[in-house]
Amino acid sequence: MKGILSSIVDGKGFDIALVALPLTFLVTLSGLPLIYNVLMSFQQVDLFSLGTFWRPFVGLKNYAELFAQPETWPIFANTAIFVVSSIVGQFLIGFGLALFFWTNFPGASWLRGLFLVSWVMPGLVVGAIWNWILSGDFGVLNFLLRESGLTNGNIFWRSDPNYSLWGVIVANIWFGTSFNMILLSVGLSAIPSDLYEAAELDGANAWQRFRTITLPMMRSSIGALMALGLIFTLQQFDLFAAITNGGPNNSSNVAQYWAWELSFRQYDFAKGATVSVIMIVFVILASIVYVRSTRHEVRR
Amino acid sequence: MRHPFREKLMLAVALVFTAIYLFPLYWMYVTALKSGSAIFASPPAFWPADPQWHIYAEVWQSRNMGRYIWNSLVIAFGAVAMISVLGVGCAYVLARYRNGWVDVTLFLILMLQVLPASLMITPIFVGFSQTGLLEYPRLAVTLAIAAKSMPFFVVLVRTAFLSVPQELEEAGLVDGDSRVGAFFRIALPLARNGIVVSALLIFMQAFGEFVYSRSIIQRAELQPASIGLNSFMGPNTNEWNGIMAYATIYVTPILVAFVLLQRGIISGLTSGALR
Repeated sequence: MKGILSSIVDGKGFDIALVALPLTFLVTLSGLPLIYNVLMSFQQVDLFSLGTFWRPFVGLKNYAELFAQPETWPIFANTAIFVVSSIVGQFLIGFGLALFFWTNFPGASWLRGLFLVSWVMPGLVVGAIWNWILSGDFGVLNFLLRESGLTNGNIFWRSDPNYSLWGVIVANIWFGTSFNMILLSVGLSAIPSDLYEAAELDGANAWQRFRTITLPMMRSSIGALMALGLIFTLQQFDLFAAITNGGPNNSSNVAQYWAWELSFRQYDFAKGATVSVIMIVFVILASIVYVRSTRHEVRR
Repeated sequence: MRHPFREKLMLAVALVFTAIYLFPLYWMYVTALKSGSAIFASPPAFWPADPQWHIYAEVWQSRNMGRYIWNSLVIAFGAVAMISVLGVGCAYVLARYRNGWVDVTLFLILMLQVLPASLMITPIFVGFSQTGLLEYPRLAVTLAIAAKSMPFFVVLVRTAFLSVPQELEEAGLVDGDSRVGAFFRIALPLARNGIVVSALLIFMQAFGEFVYSRSIIQRAELQPASIGLNSFMGPNTNEWNGIMAYATIYVTPILVAFVLLQRGIISGLTSGALR
């Protein structure tokens, strides 16, 4: 007993205790639900069997039923459009801003930091603000588009099935651009400046310097950011809840919102779990890419 | 070689970019101050002609915001306390060793970090209902948030400990300190700033959390501010000045804290996310 105690105070026991406790907590509240999720996707779960552990197994029935539903493929297609457009938009605007602020004039780093307020705001507040900006008749975005001559009439961002998903995408691009910009700035500042000086002496113009030095040197940052972007956009839930609720008629619904809707609106917990399992497989694949692209830098 | 004119020009362009980017935030503050009829004016006024300052007190009263904010604080403080107590030691050990076990643990933690809350809520809800935790909805949400955010915290705090030189602790051990003593007296104070900044980031996340609370907390008197804002926004709402006033009260403390601690938050975030 004394041996164990002194090991906790002074030896390996101290380290093991410090790691074991949080890991137990994490496995209980994240790992077990993950496994339980897979289990539930093969079970028949309804409101009556919610409180019991033993439920009938139905094999792949949930999966078969899911893919027989007419809204399934459109929702997965929406998810792909949402993820790709959000990542591309956030990345391009974020990279442009990062390159601009990289020129390092006085005040650049402070102003650049200010952009990150979008990222620390609660998602639901961001959703509420954009809900109002995107509003059809009185929204300020429609006013600006009309006045600048880009559109003739009002776009009903939230209620027109052709635009509802894009309304959420616009809000999400705003939400995530600053995070992209900050991480890309870190990558840019790590490039040694003598590379550029040498290239300039050799007569390379700005575009050639960007293509032959900046892009290759940023490859690992960009890779990590793409994987992180995929993970973050698949986590986005609050904007859908605040702007369109997935509607009208599922035109702006995506898998991560639909999974919640199936469980908590339609009380079809088995289907909700089934959609979750499919999406989590994608997330884990993306995170393996992310971990691999960042890990070897530390090891050096 | 400095170019004063070029620098001024760049600063001016930067200010324009910042203004465009932060316009949605500005629009929230302006809309909140407009009167009920002014918000539907066409063309919209970009400056409130007749600011309605009393809207904040009205919304605070009529939406019962005190209760909502209190619940948000209880949940966020609970989650941060839980995460700090469990996560700091874990991050410390993971920063001090470099071997296969540490790699496996880090990999596991990173995997748990990426699971989207809206996809994990179904099994968590069903599990909580089976174990009876749904009877204590705020505790249940706090636990769920703690599990969701702890991996991020551990990754950030680990980089804070990585920047504390190990030699300092070894010197402490030579002077007769125990491992526990060296941890509390040497490593912890030196990593303090990184820990505080990470805890603050977690607090901001937990303060705005929505999906777990929405799914788990049914009783209105226990719901946090995000749910209160959501229930304010019906499908045919026209009280946009009230909603924006609610959003302003909810978000301004977070924004002030962020602007004051900007430097620390950004350096903590970038070193953690890329490492």
